[in-house]
Amino acid sequence: MAQHQVNYASAAGLPIALTSVDKLVNWGRSNSLWPLTYGLACCAIEMMASGASRYDFDRMGTIFRASPRQADVMILAGTLSKKHAEFARRLYDQMTEPKWVISMGSCANTGGMFNTYATVQGVDRIIPVDIYLPGCAPRPETLQYALMMLQKKIRKESADMKKNTKQDLTTQTGKKRARLI
Amino acid sequence: MRKYVPKDNVQAKAYYTDRFHVVPRVPREKVEEGSHFAEVVKAIGTDLKESYIEISTLVLHINPEDNFKVIKTLKERCGYTQCSEQSAVDYLAKENEFELFWQLLNVKEAKRVRVVCRLEKGLAIESIEPLFKSANFAEREMFDMFGIKVNNHPFLKRILMPDDWEGHPLLKTYPLFGDEFASWYEVDKIFGKEYRDIIGPENRDPAKIDIEDTKRFSRVGYEVPFGAEYNGEEEQGIEYSETALVNYNKKASKTLDERR
Amino acid sequence: MQVANKLSPFFENLNFERDDNTMVINFGPQHPSAHGQLRLVLELDGEQVVKAYPDIGYLHRGIEKMAENMTYNEFLPTTDRLDYIASTSNNYAYALAVEKLIGIEAPRRAQVIRTMLLELNRVISHLFFIATHALDVGAMSVFLYAFREREFAMDLMEDYCGARLTHSAVRIGGVPLDLPAGWLENLATFCDKVDYEVEHTYEALLTENRIWKMRLEDVGVISAEDALNWGCTGPMLRGSGIPYDIRKEEPYELYSELDFDVPVSDRCDSYGRYKLYMEEMRQSTRILKQLIPMYKESEPQLMAHAPQYISAPKEEIMTQNYALMQHFVLVTQGMRPPRGEVYVPTESPKGELGFYIKSEGEPYAYRLKCRAPSFFHTGLLQEILVGTYIADVVTIIGSTNIVFGEVDR
Repeated sequence: MAQHQVNYASAAGLPIALTSVDKLVNWGRSNSLWPLTYGLACCAIEMMASGASRYDFDRMGTIFRASPRQADVMILAGTLSKKHAEFARRLYDQMTEPKWVISMGSCANTGGMFNTYATVQGVDRIIPVDIYLPGCAPRPETLQYALMMLQKKIRKESADMKKNTKQDLTTQTGKKRARLI
Repeated sequence: MRKYVPKDNVQAKAYYTDRFHVVPRVPREKVEEGSHFAEVVKAIGTDLKESYIEISTLVLHINPEDNFKVIKTLKERCGYTQCSEQSAVDYLAKENEFELFWQLLNVKEAKRVRVVCRLEKGLAIESIEPLFKSANFAEREMFDMFGIKVNNHPFLKRILMPDDWEGHPLLKTYPLFGDEFASWYEVDKIFGKEYRDIIGPENRDPAKIDIEDTKRFSRVGYEVPFGAEYNGEEEQGIEYSETALVNYNKKASKTLDERR
Repeated sequence: MQVANKLSPFFENLNFERDDNTMVINFGPQHPSAHGQLRLVLELDGEQVVKAYPDIGYLHRGIEKMAENMTYNEFLPTTDRLDYIASTSNNYAYALAVEKLIGIEAPRRAQVIRTMLLELNRVISHLFFIATHALDVGAMSVFLYAFREREFAMDLMEDYCGARLTHSAVRIGGVPLDLPAGWLENLATFCDKVDYEVEHTYEALLTENRIWKMRLEDVGVISAEDALNWGCTGPMLRGSGIPYDIRKEEPYELYSELDFDVPVSDRCDSYGRYKLYMEEMRQSTRILKQLIPMYKESEPQLMAHAPQYISAPKEEIMTQNYALMQHFVLVTQGMRPPRGEVYVPTESPKGELGFYIKSEGEPYAYRLKCRAPSFFHTGLLQEILVGTYIADVVTIIGSTNIVFGEVDR
């Protein structure tokens, strides 16, 4: 292994690293994703478990916040009922940009086993979703993996949020329609 | 001719029932003399229409107008100090009435009594909230789910469904997937009616595969690159293997007009 | 200046401009200590609650409606999602109700396994209670310790049924599987561990903790009369001095043969209920330890023999024609219980969990009503929150141990 002498004195006493603004900003964003504690149903228990002792979310820089104003990620953990849908959208609107959404569990993805009058058939009807997480309920490992995938996604994005194309609220037929964000 | 679908009961039904199938009944026992239940029956007296024991619970059939009186007697004279549950059963399709039940518990004797009455459609029942506070929520739930009005309830309002909901979900006429109002509820509320076209209808079919969606599902035999634009061309089955995969090419198969 | 419109609305939770000098504060439905989706509208005079109005239904999924459209066996996995902290207790309560309706009894080994799972689920639920309750009150380390033990219990459940949270570990008429090899040894280790941790970790951290006592003592007082009147069951009822435990009074499964005590507290406050939960965990491990030798004595039959309602074992289906025919009918059409109605109460970790089933002889239940303990405990909030301070509201909600899966159904 080649060894190089680094002359700190000539570099104003500081080690120098060169990077682009995008990478620097995304490095910061992706490594301190603060999710909103948005436990809705059963998946919330697994979300708590992933924050607790064995799975320990804190080591990934993920600290749950109770206020949407301080959160970057909304983890929709559980069944979203029609009565609650309005509040979910309101909390999403209250979050500051940049923001991402993880839909955790079958119920949040598609309505899951609750194919009834009272459940929203997939949260992507009201909120644009970045990561869909399958399972009923997904294990904490799955949530950790989803968060790592989201970090990966963020690292590829542009620091200027306007340039990123968020997944649109598309219709069932898949045709792209107006952006609702 | 279109198949006739009854509208008064849209719940799932058995598609086949044996012609000779006789439905047995859960055994009902008579109230034994000298037991605790015999005293209960005696205390209620003439208000009682019918009484029997079904699976270790005493069932008391009464008239709907006597419900407060009977439950008061049960509470004050027979020691039934807790109302565990109260709700209704929809018999509108068959008999145009609801069956209401109150499940009471005697903590000292560890005995349970079910008070049952039949209430005609459109009539209201007297609230037992002055006797049991637990009926407060239970009666509200009954009102929410069946639309049965309760007289003298302190705060009769929908409890589980939103206040602006239409319909009463547990009625047999209410479909499991909800009606038109239910299916657009969240879209109307959040975005407004004008966004119905943009969001699109709900997908209630769990097995549905969208042919234009190239991001979420792959169709065996019709794989395209991830995120490719759907150009509306007719489907061309790609034959990967002649043995392992079914040939999806429609031209090769013949559809019979009639079943042989 | 933010402009409110339909797509980007803004809502204020607080309303100060009222004539009567009270403040209305909205608590939930998204609140970290609301135990799910409880929405409380509190009217405050200074810091004191004048009026509390619990608004529920934010997790209503129409489970009772689903029961009317599903065959009896199809519906069983749905019961997992009622009280999702202790799923097996729901599965069991439902399975027991159907078994009572069709008049069958599970074989001995199935009963032993079921009782084990029920008690294991009680420990899981109580550990979860102490974790979240302590977290709400402000003792974060208890949360981390309790979840550590809870993960071991989850491992045991996972070894048995393959799922961590939604078990479906009970079938109508028995249990689907025998215990895997080495499970009982792990269970015995777990029991010792829980006994040790309850005494040396949770109680050592909390029982004499000055802050814990100040936050819990004389907070959320429910008199015995109120507890009965509002339909409280389980630890809420026993915390008010009424020794009513369904396992003792109306025994089901093997509870009549087992030796255990029913802890009762006449303090009527949150602290008494906390002590009760700790004692119940000890009793649960005591029951589990008694069950281990009972398992070894039992015959290896797992499902009840009732060909009209329950499929024969797989081996018989594969070898005997009649068993295959029965199995085919049961799978394609579903079982048809006799006409009648049944209400069966069981003691779930939260209280009295009962299923009322009205059967008309069809493969679909005509009406299924789930009597959920948390539903009535939520109703109680409008009474006991009045007169308390806003800081105690979270303590009281935590102490009632409500789960919204079964409140809203």
